[in-house]
Parts: sequence; structure tokens; C-alpha cells
Amino acid sequence: MSSVEALHDQYSQELKGFGASLPDDLLQGLQGLSEIYDQSQLEQWVKIGVNLAHHSLRSWEATSEFFRVSPEMAKKLTFSELKQWSEIGTYLATDASLMSVAFIKGSPSALDSLNFADLDIWAKQGQRLCRGNWKSIALAALYFQQSASLLNVLSLELVDRLVEIIDQLTERSYELANSVLESSYDIFSNLAEEDREPFLLFAKSVTRASWADTRLYFERGPKLIENISPNERTIFLDLASKVTMDVGRQGFPLFVDAAQSLEEIPLEDQKALLLFATNIAPNSAIAAMEYLKSTPFVRSRLTTEQMERWSEVGVELLRMGNAEGAEAYFRLESSRAEEMLAALSARVELPSVSSMLRMYAKALSGEQVAVLSSEDLVDRNIGWISEAAPTTEGTTIYLPPFVNTFEEQGSNFQVYKVFTTHQTGRLEFGSFNYAFNLDGQHTESSAELRESDQLQNKLSSDAENTDEDSHAQTVSTEIQRYFNLFDDRLLISGIFTIVEDTRVGSYVDREYGGIRKWLQRLQNWEVDRRPEVRAMGLRQAFVENLLRASLGRPDTIRWPQDRYTTMQKGIRALQMVNLEHATVQDSAEVASALYDIAVLIPNVPLESADVEWEPPDEEMIQIAPDMPGGGEGGEAPMPASGDELDFENPEQPEFRGEFKPELVQLMMKLKDQQQGQTDGTASPLTKEQLMELLQNSVEITINEWAEGDLASSLGMFLDNLEKDAGTPAGEPKEQSGESGDERGGGDGGDDEELPVEIDWFYYDEWDFRASDYRPRWCRVGERLGDEGELDYYQDILQKHHGLVMETRRQFELMRPESFRKIKRLEDGHEIDLDEAIQFYVDKKAGVGPLARIYTRRNKIERDVAVAFLLDMSASTDEEIEKQRQKYQEEEEDFQDDPSKYFQWLAQRRARQAIEPPKRIIDLEKESTVLVVEALEAIGDSYGIYGFSGYGRDNVEFHVIKDLEEDFNDRVRKRIDKIDPVRSTRMGPAIRHTIQKLDDHDAKVKILIMVSDGRPQDHGYGRDRTEKEYAVHDTKQALNEAKRKGITPFLITVDKEGHDYLKQMCDDIGYEVVDNIESLPRRLPTLYRHLAAE
Amino acid sequence: MTTIEQSQGFKQLAVEDFRISEEPFYLPISDEVELFESAYEQKIPVLLKGPTGVGKTRFIEYMSWKLHKNLQDSESGVPLITVACHEDLTASDLVGRYLLEGEETRWVDGPITRATKVGAICYLDEVVEARKDTTVLIHPLTDYRRLLPVEKRGELLEAADGFILVMSYNPGYQSALKDLKHSTRQRFIAIEFGYPDRDQETEIISKESGVDLSIASELAKLAEKVRNLKEHGLGEGVSTRLLVYAGKLIHQGISPRRACEVAVVWALTDDLEVQRSIEEVVTSIFEE
Repeated sequence: MSSVEALHDQYSQELKGFGASLPDDLLQGLQGLSEIYDQSQLEQWVKIGVNLAHHSLRSWEATSEFFRVSPEMAKKLTFSELKQWSEIGTYLATDASLMSVAFIKGSPSALDSLNFADLDIWAKQGQRLCRGNWKSIALAALYFQQSASLLNVLSLELVDRLVEIIDQLTERSYELANSVLESSYDIFSNLAEEDREPFLLFAKSVTRASWADTRLYFERGPKLIENISPNERTIFLDLASKVTMDVGRQGFPLFVDAAQSLEEIPLEDQKALLLFATNIAPNSAIAAMEYLKSTPFVRSRLTTEQMERWSEVGVELLRMGNAEGAEAYFRLESSRAEEMLAALSARVELPSVSSMLRMYAKALSGEQVAVLSSEDLVDRNIGWISEAAPTTEGTTIYLPPFVNTFEEQGSNFQVYKVFTTHQTGRLEFGSFNYAFNLDGQHTESSAELRESDQLQNKLSSDAENTDEDSHAQTVSTEIQRYFNLFDDRLLISGIFTIVEDTRVGSYVDREYGGIRKWLQRLQNWEVDRRPEVRAMGLRQAFVENLLRASLGRPDTIRWPQDRYTTMQKGIRALQMVNLEHATVQDSAEVASALYDIAVLIPNVPLESADVEWEPPDEEMIQIAPDMPGGGEGGEAPMPASGDELDFENPEQPEFRGEFKPELVQLMMKLKDQQQGQTDGTASPLTKEQLMELLQNSVEITINEWAEGDLASSLGMFLDNLEKDAGTPAGEPKEQSGESGDERGGGDGGDDEELPVEIDWFYYDEWDFRASDYRPRWCRVGERLGDEGELDYYQDILQKHHGLVMETRRQFELMRPESFRKIKRLEDGHEIDLDEAIQFYVDKKAGVGPLARIYTRRNKIERDVAVAFLLDMSASTDEEIEKQRQKYQEEEEDFQDDPSKYFQWLAQRRARQAIEPPKRIIDLEKESTVLVVEALEAIGDSYGIYGFSGYGRDNVEFHVIKDLEEDFNDRVRKRIDKIDPVRSTRMGPAIRHTIQKLDDHDAKVKILIMVSDGRPQDHGYGRDRTEKEYAVHDTKQALNEAKRKGITPFLITVDKEGHDYLKQMCDDIGYEVVDNIESLPRRLPTLYRHLAAE
Repeated sequence: MTTIEQSQGFKQLAVEDFRISEEPFYLPISDEVELFESAYEQKIPVLLKGPTGVGKTRFIEYMSWKLHKNLQDSESGVPLITVACHEDLTASDLVGRYLLEGEETRWVDGPITRATKVGAICYLDEVVEARKDTTVLIHPLTDYRRLLPVEKRGELLEAADGFILVMSYNPGYQSALKDLKHSTRQRFIAIEFGYPDRDQETEIISKESGVDLSIASELAKLAEKVRNLKEHGLGEGVSTRLLVYAGKLIHQGISPRRACEVAVVWALTDDLEVQRSIEEVVTSIFEE
């Protein structure tokens, strides 16, 4: 019997008591070790195992593992080391055998990455996770299981860090700790080696700051830093952890945003940005991250140097200690940042110039044109597809949302101007007014002739086919009839576009000498970007050359030397529209002549080396306009039309943009039709006609509906067109409140059936921390107030009959005499007898007086406008009784007599049944009624508005009565419907009211705000409890009012109002109405005082 | 002409002595000259309507000169008495008043009284500005009676032969408050003055300012464009007068862009955005 068997027999019985499989494990281990260890060592080894099994309740499992793993370990360890290892296993088993099992099992592979000496440290790391409960034991076991492989990618030291993180997570969620641990290997093995440590460091910060984000970080982090330059990842992650240590839970979202922003930056540029961010991080970590967040946006508008200058301003703010200001600056939530950006950027944005360009276009064309972004036109899906090119559909000029062509802002603005002028030119010079077969100024129309020829041809070819309808052309528009004359519609459309643009360009050049320079600059810019002619088919090259001539650069024409006459004929014809007074009719005729030339040119490539493509000679450049005649010159024949290329019209130069005369005429016609202005001759367009037009038209790109079936797409498209023709293209609905130019221009009463129409306005908000405005921060939606019952108004009048009469009387006393007498004048209308006598007396006495004995009556007009701004926040729903109780603690004394109390209660209920308890809003409404009555007596113009809303982008502004509006039953009904809604964001409401008062013409302007408490709203402050921000913004808004010459006044029924009103109002008048019920009486009185001042 | 004072380098004359001795430049737009002559012949009062600066005053000066010339008699010609009306203009401002002088009072005739006496063209400029009671005063003068009651003296004054009452007003900017009463309105025939068309305006600008026709035509073009903005940011289109000013500045050597800026853009409006838009029109038309 070998020693192995002996040992096995000796212990198997003992071991069997622990677990049935142990003897087998032992045997296996013995067999593996017998080669390595001598008898005594083997015996010691078995004893260790047995002791381990005895160690604690389930430690035999560890023994089992010990037996199995030992042979492998023995290869790596000396026997004494093996003993030490087993001791570690034993002490781990003290805590939990499961952990010990995992440790022993994981040891061999761990030893691949660790020295034996580190084994103990490693074990301690696992032990640290074990806290005695089963979850922690499982986690620790998992740790040993995972870390074997983890150690391949992380040093022991880093694993220690990881353990620390996991340990921290266990305090919150074992599940999270588990999943983080499980995913660790995958994450770290995929990370570059040098990134692992910073990644872990940041993970630690994240866990400490907001443990729940750890999972997100482990899930998304690797992906997020993937697109950051490998050299900079460490810097970025270090920065992120510093930031997170500074700002806590905000850190992770900032990291995500910043990383996403950095993704958009080319790798080589990231370094400088990160360096900058790292530099400012010590002053404000948030600012650093906000900076990174904003960089893609800022970079799209500024060059590197400009961006440096832009950033400097933010740094300056930091230097001055205004960290909040710098954060807002880099977050681009500051007016200063935007102004700086706009000042530095060469790019010109459409919104900043659109209203000016609109007026410019109106001046030039004399028509009611609007200016909108091309994106809007594309959205309407009526055939225009380019979002970046200027165009017009006959009533509106569409311009690209921004221009960044040149490097200076001024030049880019000029580009906008050229765009606008050219599009306006199409309206001004009648590009869409083509009438069939009308003669031009310089040419006679051949259209009718062509039409009859065409018919003739058709008749002869259809000789047998007697179907009548086949040649009954249906046409919807004049220009369509014109295009129908040509077989190749694509070609004629392209040529006509070039010719007509030439004509318009020529007019612009003649009429507007001031922009000639810029027009030329753009034309040259375009010419430099034209494609190579030589590669084109010959016909296409011909058209391309026409376009170059049209851009005023005939010198860039390239054409085969031996066929020059054709080109010359073309250019000569094109020159016709450069003549003064040329009309669109001329363009059409020239286009047909050019078409005749072009169709004869086969579209084959002509690259044979024997023919030179020559630039034109002097004569060609100076060519005189003429229509092509009959005689052919001795010219090389056109090549045979062999392998023709597909013909494509040359790409439109950017400044000319899309030109779609057919669609425009169609829309005009539809519009007329819908307005019932069809002239007697033309019958209304049928759906079939329209479909035909659309199907034939080359102005609609076919691939737009390639996906669906043609008919249904066309139908939808047609619906869009008709819808569009129905709604007059007018001013954009949304207008910035800042510009507030032509608002309120008329239509007050005629929107009766329409659903609630909301006009949106944008206002800045004052951020007192940054001491700067947040640009366009709040969106105010102005709408008409709902209408209720008329009875309400009458009821209030009756109920307060006495008070109404009284206030009316008081107000009538205020009405100024229309003439005021001015005395003691040297010249005037009447002689003041007293003065005259005095004068005479003085004169007699020799006192040398002045003959100031006349009086004059001077007209003085009362010119007051007042806006009442009512708080419609939810809190105004509160019953006054309750409110009173809040302040008025002393309960009625019932002397502990329940019957008395019940009696009182019953009485109160009865009272309430007859008359429901009054709410604050009810008193606001009653006061409104009284004030209205009084103001009607005095004749001041007044507006009544209510405000509420929720959040910064939904401030509701209800118009009960506009300043310009007359007082009528609808206003009366609206007063009934003043109801509590939501929050109180006072700032934007005040600003909007200021805007209204500012637009109104009056000498004295007053704004009276009635509220029941402090300003508050969602996001109106750093957090829910902060009140400072809202108070400061409101104060700022009130100051803005004063700056505009408006007297603001606040009335509140909030008895606690004194504290914040003192701060909010500073030197602005306010009043806290103690007895709420006196509000209806108080308001008119206050107004009287205010208006009299 | 009786010149009261001529020694100090300035001329001072009694209102009724003011006559137009040299032909003012006036380019008839349509038949207004014939109309006015006929009205004068028939002693029908005339109302000139039109925006500011289109030549209403120039027209009346021209007519004063023309009618004068027709009479072939320089002494008994048609003097022109102009009264600029304002809201404090009273009846006594027009008719006359007693002034205290030393120990006594002295009656001083007002402009309308003087015109009635000498048979002048009495031109009430911007008449809507005057108070309503003032306008009523002229009623008896304007119908067949041709009488001016001078209440304070208890006199009735019959208008001399050459007397005619002419008023001007601008229907553009008067509010509902400042409309003419119908009873006043309907005592006048009305001649409408509009802006001249581009060619006419070109001629006027060129004649008045001395610039050559090409610049004058650019100015006229500018005017046409700016007038498109009326009611869309501008209360009133640019007047021919302003264009003439611009032309004069250009004639003096100021660059066209700058001249238009001061004479047109800034003169027209204070609204920055509108200013900017007009400026862009200017820079589109005139080269640097």
C-alpha cells in the first residue's frame, strides 16, 4: 500500500463525516502531490485539510477545494508557502467558509499575476468586503472569483481601489456592488492601460458623491471617453474627479455632458481645451466643465483665437471672484456671453437681422414680404428642399438660417443683403409674372408659333389615333403652358433659370450700385467653385458655360475651339436680357432660343486630345447682345450623338438659390382661387390638372417620393400646397418680445371662432449671482382670457352699488378741466381785471411794472395709461376665512361650551351656503370691476392682465383687456373667468407688461401688480427653498419698468409681505393691504393717488 | 415794395407787402395750375392736401408769382400772406387785437385782416393744427359773402378783390381729433398733392439742388423705396424737400451715402431698426 493510499485510508473515514466527496478529493490531491512532497509533508498537508474541515461549520467545503487545488499550487509554492496559504484560507473560513472556498479556488490563477507575498493582501481585500451577512459573503466570494482575472488587468493597488469603491457601494446596495464587480473585468480589460487608474479614481469620486451614478458610470464611462484623445483622457478624468469632489452629485452629469461635447472636437484640438479647463478648475470646477460643454457650439462660430478672447472674459469673471457669473458665462446662459459671441463671431444669424431685412425687402419691392428661414419653407413640404439656400415662393423671402461664407461679420451680412436683394429682385422685376405669348421689350414672342407647330406635329403623328383628348392640353398656369412647348422640360427649366437670374442680376446691378461690389464678390466666389467643364457632356458644358457668363465671368468659359460659333451664339442671346428694360418675356424668348441651340448639341463627352478647350478671346467677352439668326457658320460638326451622358442642370449658385416659377405661379393661382378671385375666363383648377402639373414639373425632385407610390405622395403634396395657399404667408407667429415692432397691429375682434391662439414672447431673466441676464430665458405665452358669464359683472356691480357710485364720483372729480388758466402773461387771450388794475396802480406809482395782465387758457390733456397685472397663482384660490385664521390665532371664546361652538359653526355653515366663502381671487376680480368702472369714468386707457404658469418656458399671460381694446361685453365676460392657475413667476409677466406699456403712447404710464404672496415658480431659484433669486429677478424687472418711464406699484394681501417687499421694492411703491376685504375699496383709491402724482 | 428796414443787411417788410418777384421753380404734376387759376378767377377758396414736403407751399408761391405776372402790374399784384397754424392759434391772432401802448390801446390788424384789406392770397399752413374756434372764424370769408367780422371793433370787413383763402393740410398724420370739421371742409375745393413720380422727382431734385441727373435719379429711386415703408415702420414717406437737401449736400461735396444718412435716414425716424433698414437701402443704391 502506497503512502498515498495509507494516508487516504487513514483520513477518509474522518473526512466522510464532513462530506461524502471529501475522501475522493483527498485522493485526487494526494495523487497530484505525491510526486512533489515527501511523506511527512504529505501528512502535514492532509492534516491541514482536516483541521480546516474541523475549523468551523462548513469549512469542510474549503477543505474540499484545498485538496483539489493544492497540486496546482504546489507547483508554484514551496511547502512552507503552501502552509501559509492554507492559513489564509483558514482565517478566511473563520469569517465565512464560502469566501474561503472562493479564495482557495481563485488562488492559482491569482498567483499568475501576484507574488506570494501579495496573496495575503489580496485575501484581506476580499475579507474586507465580508461583513458576516450572506450578501456580503457572496460578494466577497464573487470578488475572489473575479479578481483572479481582474488582476490580469489591474495592479493589486488598483484592485484595492476598486474594492474600496465596491465596499462603499455595499453600504447602499449589494446588488449594485455585485454588478459593478461583475462588469469590472470587461471594462478594465477594454480600457487602455494608462486610462485604468484615472478611470478608477474618478469612479471613486462618483461613488462618494452619488453612489447611484456608479452603475451609470461603469456602463457608459468607457464609451464616453472612447472618443477623447488617448493622451488627454487622463487629464480629463482627473479633471472630472476633481470637479466631482468639489461639486458632489452634479459632477457625473457634468462629466457626461462634457465628454459628449468633447466627442465633437477633433482629437488634436482637445488638448488645448482640456488644458484651459484644468486651469480654471481650481477657481470653479463647474465653470471648467461648462466650458467644455459649450465648446462645440462656440467653436462652430469662432476661430481658435476668437475663442481665446471669448474665454478670457469668463476667466476675468473668475478672477474677480464671480464664480457664478463665470459658470453662467461658460454655460452660455448669460447675456454677456452671447453678446461677446455675437461680437466676435463672423457668422451672422438670421434672427438677428431678419426684421431689418424684412423692412429692407419691403422697401425695395413695395410689397408685403416676410422674411423667414429656409428651414420653414422646407418644413412646409411644398416642393422646396434646400435648407441652406435663399429662395422665395412669391410672398416671402426665405434665407438660410446663418451665413458664414466670409471671415468677417460685415461681409457675411453683405452676403445676406445680396441674397435678399436678388430674391426681392425676382418679385420687384417680375420673375413670376410670365404671361403666355406676350412680347418682350427686345424680343417678339414665338410661343404661339411654337405651340401651333407642336400641335401640328402631334396631329400628323397621331393621324390614325383619333382620340380627341390626347392633345387637349390642360394647363394650370401660364408658365406651365410655356414649359409645355418643350420636349425636354429639364433642359428648358435649367436654361430659363439661368436666363431669368441673369436678367434679375442685371437689374440689381443697374438699380443698386451700392451692392454691386458684393454681388461681384459673390459671383467670383461662385465661379471659383464651379465644376470642371471638360468632364461634362457637351450639352451640359454649354449650359454650364452660359451660367458662367451669367455670373459675369465669360472669361471662365471653356469650349472646344472648333465649335466656338455655337457658344458665341449662346452668349450673344444671353446678353439680350442684360439690356435695360428687359422683361421676363424676353427671358422666356431668349431661353427658347438657347434651348433650340442646346437640343442640337449631343450630350457626349468630348475628351479627345485633338480639340483644344479654349478660354474665350477678347471679342467673346465683349460680345454684343443679339438673338441667334438662321445662317450656320463654317463650324466643325457636332459629334454624333453616340453614348450620351445623362444631362443635369448646373448647380445653382448659392446666392441665387432655388427658382421655381411653375410652383410659384401655381400657388398664386390657388391663392386667388381660394380668395374667390378667379377671373371669369379661367375655370377653377381641377385636381387632375394639378396632378398633371406636379407630375410633369421638374421643379419637384422625384426622389422625394420615390419611397411611396407616386400618386399618394403627390396627393399629400398637393394638400400641403393648397393648405399653404389658404394661409396667407404673413409675419412669423413667434416674435421676440425684444423687438416688439409691429405687434397689436389691428385685428382685435375678428378671431372669435379660432381656438386659443398663443403668441410667444421671450424675455431675459436676471441672475443676481452672475449679475447678468440669462438671455431669452423665459417664454411668455400671451392669450386672450377665457370668457365666462356676463351676469357676474352685473352681480358685482349691484352688490357694490354704493361703492361703485362713490368711486365713480371721486374719479370724475379727477377729470381735468380741459383748459387751465394761466395768469400773468404779457400777451394772452383775455385781460385779467385784477392784474390790470394792479398794473395801473403800479404805473401811477411809478414802480415800472411789467404789463402782465393777460390770461390764457391752455389745453392740458390727461394722458395716462395703466396696466393692472393680477396674480392668478394657485394660492389665490385660498379662502379668506382660512387665511385670516392663519394670522389671527385668537379663536372666538366659547368658554368651553360645546353648544355655543356648534351654534357658531352652524351659523357659519349657513352663511357659507348662501354665499360661498370668498377667495383672494374673488376679491381681485371685484376690485377689477370697481377699477374698470372708475377708469371708464375718467377715460384713462388701461389694460388688465393676469399671469400664472409653470416653469420658465410656460409663463401664461392672460389678456383680460388690452390697452388698445375698448371696454365691451367680452371683457366683462373675461373678468368672470379670472381663475387661479399655477405658479407666480413675476419677472417675465412684468417684462411683458412693460413691453405693452412701452408700445402704448401715453405721457404717464403706471403698472399696478396685485398679488397674494412672494414670487415663486418651478426653477425660479437654485432650489425649491431658495427665495432670493425670484425676489431679485422681480426687483430687476420693476427697475426695468422705471427705466422705461413706467411707475410700478405693488399691492399685496400677504401680511408677511413686508419682509420681502422691502427688499424687492427698494424705492418702488408698494402697499400691504391688511384687511383683505378692503381691497376693492383700496385699489381705486391707490390708483387715484398714483395717477395724480 | 415798401421796405421798412434795409440798413442792417436784412429785409423787413409788412406782411401784406410780400410778393414773389422771381419765378420759383415749380414743376406741375398735373392740372393743378389751371385748377388754381380758375378757382382764383371764381373766388373759390382752395384746400391743398398732401404729405409734407411735396411742394404745397412752393405751389402757392408759384401761383402767387404767376397770378401776379398775369396782372402785368407789379404794384397791384398778389401778395402772399402765410400763417403757420398751431394749436394755440386764436381768433385774435388772426384777426387782430388791441395792444397797450403807453397810456392807450392801439389796434393791430392780424394777418387775415390785412390780407382781406389788400386782396392777398391768405395761406393757412397746416390748418388742422389750429383750434376749432379759429377755423370757424373764416367761414363768412369763404362763401359768397366774403366778409370778415372784426368783433372787437364791431366792424365787418369786405374782402378786396384779389383776396383768396388757401389752406393746406396733411391727411397723413392727423388723428381723429384733428380732422377738419365738415362745415369747414366743404367750403373749399381740394387739390391733392402726391409724391411726384421718379422722373419728375429726378428733375425737381436736380433743378433745386444742382446735382446732375444721374444722382438725382438715384435719390428719386431711394425715395420710391423708402416710401414703400410708409405704414410699415414709417409714419410718413420721405419728402421731396429732404431729397433736395440731400442733393444739396452732395452738390457741396458730401458723399452720397453720408448725405442720405443725415438728410434722409436720421431725419425720418428715431427707430433704430427702421433707420438701419433704410440705411441698407441707401447703401444698396449708392456706391461707396
